[in-house]
Amino acid sequence: MSNAAVRKIKPSTASLNRFGPGTQAVFHCVLGLFALLCIVPFIFVIIISFTSEESIRQIGYSFRPLSWSVQAYTYTFQLGDQLWRSYFNSFLITVVGTFLSVLICFLYAYPLFRRDYGHRQFFNFLSFFTMIFGGGLVPTFVICKSVLGLSDNYAALIVPMLFSPFNVIIMRTFFQTSVPMELIEASTIDGSGEYGTLFRIVFPIVTPGIATIALLVSLGYWNEWFLSLLYVNKNMDIIPLQYLLMRMQRNADFLAKNSSMLGADAAKAAAQMPSQTLKMALVVFIVVPIACAYPFFQRYVVAGLTVGSVKG
Amino acid sequence: MKRFLSLLLTLMLVLGLCGFAQAESLPTITIMFHGSNVTDDSAVLEKVNEYIADKVGAKLEVIWGTWGDFDEKAANALTTGDSEVDMVFTCSWSADEFNTYAKNGFFEPLDEYMEKFGADLKAALPEALIQAATVEGPDGEKHIYAVNGFKDTATQNTWDINVTLLTELGYTLDDVRNLGFFGWGEIFAKAKELKGDSFYPFLVEPAVAERMVTNSIIVTGDSGSVNLLSYYLDPADVTKSDAKYGDVLLNKFATEEYAAFVKQMREYYLAGYIDPALAVAETSNDARTNAQKDGSYLIGTQSYAYGYEYSPEVISRGVEVVFEPCTDPYVDTTVSQGAMVAVSSASQHPEESFKFLALLNSDPYLMTLLNYGVEGVHYTLDENGLVVFTDERANYSPWTNGMGNVTLLPDTQAEGAGFREAFKNFYASGKAVPILGFIFNNEPVANEMAALTNVAAQYALALNSGAVDPETELPKFLEALTAAGMDAYLAEANAQLNAFLGK
Amino acid sequence: MSETLIRSRKAGKKSAVRKKNFWLDTMVLPGTIWLLLIRYLPMFGIVLAFKNYKAQRPNTFWNNILKSDWVGLKNFEFLKSPDTAVMIRNTLGYNILWILLGLVIAVAFAVMMSELTARFMAKTYQTLMFFPYFLSWVVASYFVLAFLDPTSGMIPALQKASGGQASNFYHETQWWPLILTLCSMWKNIGYSSVLYLAAITGIDTTQYEAAAVDGATKWQQVWHVTLPNIRAMIVILLIMNVGKIFNADFGLFYNVPQNSGSLYPVTQVVDTYVYRAYANTHNIGMSSAAGFLQSLVGLICIVAANAVVRKIDADSSLF
Repeated sequence: MSNAAVRKIKPSTASLNRFGPGTQAVFHCVLGLFALLCIVPFIFVIIISFTSEESIRQIGYSFRPLSWSVQAYTYTFQLGDQLWRSYFNSFLITVVGTFLSVLICFLYAYPLFRRDYGHRQFFNFLSFFTMIFGGGLVPTFVICKSVLGLSDNYAALIVPMLFSPFNVIIMRTFFQTSVPMELIEASTIDGSGEYGTLFRIVFPIVTPGIATIALLVSLGYWNEWFLSLLYVNKNMDIIPLQYLLMRMQRNADFLAKNSSMLGADAAKAAAQMPSQTLKMALVVFIVVPIACAYPFFQRYVVAGLTVGSVKG
Repeated sequence: MKRFLSLLLTLMLVLGLCGFAQAESLPTITIMFHGSNVTDDSAVLEKVNEYIADKVGAKLEVIWGTWGDFDEKAANALTTGDSEVDMVFTCSWSADEFNTYAKNGFFEPLDEYMEKFGADLKAALPEALIQAATVEGPDGEKHIYAVNGFKDTATQNTWDINVTLLTELGYTLDDVRNLGFFGWGEIFAKAKELKGDSFYPFLVEPAVAERMVTNSIIVTGDSGSVNLLSYYLDPADVTKSDAKYGDVLLNKFATEEYAAFVKQMREYYLAGYIDPALAVAETSNDARTNAQKDGSYLIGTQSYAYGYEYSPEVISRGVEVVFEPCTDPYVDTTVSQGAMVAVSSASQHPEESFKFLALLNSDPYLMTLLNYGVEGVHYTLDENGLVVFTDERANYSPWTNGMGNVTLLPDTQAEGAGFREAFKNFYASGKAVPILGFIFNNEPVANEMAALTNVAAQYALALNSGAVDPETELPKFLEALTAAGMDAYLAEANAQLNAFLGK
Repeated sequence: MSETLIRSRKAGKKSAVRKKNFWLDTMVLPGTIWLLLIRYLPMFGIVLAFKNYKAQRPNTFWNNILKSDWVGLKNFEFLKSPDTAVMIRNTLGYNILWILLGLVIAVAFAVMMSELTARFMAKTYQTLMFFPYFLSWVVASYFVLAFLDPTSGMIPALQKASGGQASNFYHETQWWPLILTLCSMWKNIGYSSVLYLAAITGIDTTQYEAAAVDGATKWQQVWHVTLPNIRAMIVILLIMNVGKIFNADFGLFYNVPQNSGSLYPVTQVVDTYVYRAYANTHNIGMSSAAGFLQSLVGLICIVAANAVVRKIDADSSLF
């Protein structure tokens, strides 16, 4: 059946294919409630970021602070260069990392889905095994740093997360559920090379899967901070925003844990710590761009709805 | 093709020569500091490198570790034998890193270098500090494993008293002294009456309060996150052990003094004198810092450092504060190993590293430069020669006490003239506790310690802050400790202490 | 057909297969290089779990590993603690509950979202569900604190206002299984439901039309078309979650209860236990041992789960 034919049929059967308004309303209630639950903490973060420090001192974190203040944002902007620089780094790392990571994942998962691929079992196991077993943090750190030279450079913040066996398995599952083998056979008979088949025929069908993986990967890169802790020692110009925030958080945690040992030094340092409100303002800075990027991915996930019917 | 090859060869030759030329130039030594807040060190390092090129024969690079990340970074560098990190800050209060690393061979013994290049350093540091850095290495012998920082080298726990409020309530400092910890209930009650229900007069750090009330000290090598052992001092004379117990390490939670302490805390807690936030590990520090900032407390606990009452942090509280000591300042093992810098045994340049540390700790110019920044950029001198920091200081604020011999620093305007001299004298007066130099090697009971730490973390804070009832919880706690191997732990600790004391 | 022709055809087929394999090999190449360098090369580090790691002369990582003493299973002795039973019960208990609960809720949400006629609303819900993913557990813990704080929290305030006794949540264990479950669902549902949703959008729509023609109600369509089509995804995610059954989300169990000691009986899990016991001492041997143990349990569980799945439905199994 051709694409055009599918599109024609759709509207006519659509009405049979939907839940009634009552059920829809229930769905809206359930999903709406949960969505609310998901967004409220973020609204809470925004409220804290606009709360005056005095209010926090007196009544703690609250939905109804005693007084408001934009001080946190003034401070944030005073971070100036550091803020924008790490913002830029976050973007750079996320975009480059996501692109490479999705490409590698896509390329790795495709042969694993091909039943006629001779080394399928081997490479499947090669990837899967690492999901369960690893050498541990320290040996990996040593290999990355002293063997691969991942130290104080952007590569150190991208390469260690480039590949995820989890995503490969997810991607492979997408291939399995949406790409019919006959299609590939047909295209091979038509004389298309393996790469041609993959990018011209298969790629458009699995866009929802790719968009999903891209979403997950980009979230991972955007949220990442531990790599910075491990691999960035001197070149603080390359750290992402998330690490800037985590560093503040970890400083506060350390002082809390060691205050009885550090005595007056801890009290002095704690008094100079950036306020909670500043941290919350940074959280806002971190969440907003990725939340804006989300609909972009979503468009491709939804676009799959029509493309997916090719196989009929 | 031939041309290409020859080009390649030339290129390799040039590169090789470059490498050779570089090898001829000064080696780079790298130091990792703790607690820094430094975003731009270029101006300082330029001057430092100018200054040390001849004296040390090396070029310095600094990794500015922050409070939160230092432990992780230092552990990674040391344990992976990273030759790019030559020197690291180390101490004994953060999980006993110094003694463990020294014992496991991760630090370079410095005795030989001290002999050769340490004359100035020896003159600048009190002998006791060099002694404190002399600990057991992997060979079972004692060696100097670090250059010990000359900072606040004695411990003094104090009651942090809001005198403004105290006076308002009609009490004097003498009343506080005479009534004592067990008798403050009536003052707290009045404070609560005056300030309302959401005011918590007793702003304690529970673990510190426990040490202050029972006069116990930290035993170096004991579980770092929650102490399990107590050694009781005679509060009147800190050079003696408590007459009742003598030179013995005790299960911190099994003494009658401890039982009395938690009973009293429970009473204060139930009466609403203690903020419940102080009873939960992660909320406690925020709550305390916030209340301190507002001066909204009556009596608190503070481990004191000389001059703390004049620091901007205390002055900005907006109330008159007095730090009332429990005992004379005393020197125990932990405080004598409070801030040091050691040389990694993976370093390719131990000699240059030591020379640098020796210079840093004996040369006022270098210490001031690295600590306070460049004169005219990060600070200026006022007409009396006192340091006044500029706005640039915000981009260059290392942790002053974490760098080494801070007695070399000039006085700042905030501290006032003569501060460092008085500081030195104050700490010279510190008295040694009977078990100074004792380091508990917990390796034989590491598994017990792991289990005990978890048990203690479960109960200790809740009990110390009065949040749970000691009538029911303390017996459960003691039982759990026994089940986790407290007896073996205690026996090992005391056997080591007896050996140390030569009993 | 002459023999030679057959032979040459066979050879041709063989070379075609070889050629195909070659091109597919080049596709897995980048991933393979990465796996070998960053995952397989460091695996020698597993020996750390059985060694008393100390610096040797010269102090390099390789040399230290090579020359440090073997200590057998000594690094695993942290399991001898009386807390072991509690932490294993908590780790496994929460994981099993959450795997099942998460599966049901995420699939239900994905199905609901795919069936909504108001596409804009569906997209909005989906976007909002991702927000928790960005808030670290530390931030989430402030949110929980705003509700539970004994002095200024909303719930104790309500309790007091209604004349009751305010609960001291951070010292009362009975609430926390529920609170932790809510938090875990809150954080993870958005993530897994987007996977299911993407799988649903990949379903061939003609299948629904065929079902509708056969007179199937919408509920029957969900049951007979949607679920079978995303079965592969469900099974795969299930097996992978089972592999992590001995691992716990550290921040959830550490930050959200504010590391309150009184709550350990219901919040102590393997990861927090090891952290509290050893993180401060940076004992590589101990942490390697714990990691090794978690991997081992994960491997056993995954192989078992996969074997079960294979018996029922060979197509959906992981390997």
